[in-house]
Amino acid sequence: MSKEQPDPRTVIIGIGEYQIGKTPMSSIGLGSCIGLVLHSRAGGMGGMAHVMLPDSQGRGDRPGKFADTAVEILVTELAAAGCRTSQMMAKIAGGASMFKGFSGNLNIGERNADAVIAALNGRKIDLVGIEVGGTMGRTVTYYPELEGRMVIRSADGRIKEI
Amino acid sequence: MLLNSQQCDALRELGNIGAAHAATTLSTMLMTNIEMDVPDIKVIDISQVHQYVSDELAALVLFEINGEVSGGGYVLLHIPKNSVIRLTNAMLGMTEEERELTEMDESALLEIGNIMVSAFLDATAGLLNIIMLPSPPSLTIDMPHAAVQSILASEGFMDINEVVLFRTELRSDQHKIINNLFLLPNEPMLDEIVSMLENLLITASEPQDIT
Repeated sequence: MSKEQPDPRTVIIGIGEYQIGKTPMSSIGLGSCIGLVLHSRAGGMGGMAHVMLPDSQGRGDRPGKFADTAVEILVTELAAAGCRTSQMMAKIAGGASMFKGFSGNLNIGERNADAVIAALNGRKIDLVGIEVGGTMGRTVTYYPELEGRMVIRSADGRIKEI
Repeated sequence: MLLNSQQCDALRELGNIGAAHAATTLSTMLMTNIEMDVPDIKVIDISQVHQYVSDELAALVLFEINGEVSGGGYVLLHIPKNSVIRLTNAMLGMTEEERELTEMDESALLEIGNIMVSAFLDATAGLLNIIMLPSPPSLTIDMPHAAVQSILASEGFMDINEVVLFRTELRSDQHKIINNLFLLPNEPMLDEIVSMLENLLITASEPQDIT
């Protein structure tokens, strides 16, 4: 597909949200956030989270928001839906650093990416696609029914698939 | 809830004064009328930011707010991509719209940002009787949602679930230019500004001594 026809079923996953299912899922304008996809090789389904921060520090009210709890909730809900952990693979995109030189340390993107990767390693889930870092925003769309394709559009217009 | 409706009204009035000053400077630079809307203030859940801020390419000029105010915050000048060239053309006296952005455009955008945001913060701080200064600007041509999201995830904002989205649109109908000013204070700064505004209102409503 060179021309992306937006699938009308596409669900937007906002900051800190997550969802599992078979319909396409999209997160627009990821800056330092990470779009985390856990795809099950069997059944054409999976889940996506829009991770904002690296560490929940024990908080559980918004599991999709933090790297550690996002990996856990996606694994748990996919397992409950019949997916085996051994069948799962992960893809991640985002974690950019858009503004430099501010005292507020806007460079949380790298820490987000590291934390997501560590949490995936902890669960022994294969990380098969990774498109993180840089300085540009990204919009991502995940297609569970199309073998877990994750299409990434960068701010400069480039489209990449992982 | 971060703000009640009365506090929203007070903040809107404050923003109105700030944005009017920013509009005046833009009007002077472009030598044209600038139309301005009443600031839009919404308290929204972070998961809904995408409904108000898109991923369509824009010039984004970001300033950190410094000065006599606690907490931290940012001002973001957002110029949609199709307005960028028209804006710099109007400023630099050029007419060609089908051209690439150059260093000249970038300097012009930083300068416009500097002048508008300084006027915005000056007027706002003047009303509150404090000093607020913009940091040097940072310019990027990127997705607005990605920029706002990066700010909300930065350390100054801690771990928030709701955000006050403060936006004013400034337009030049003559040049077909639109730009938006976003004010993004973190919670300590917002609290301090709101309590200053409340004090101002109380002082203003006290009976005058006319002996």
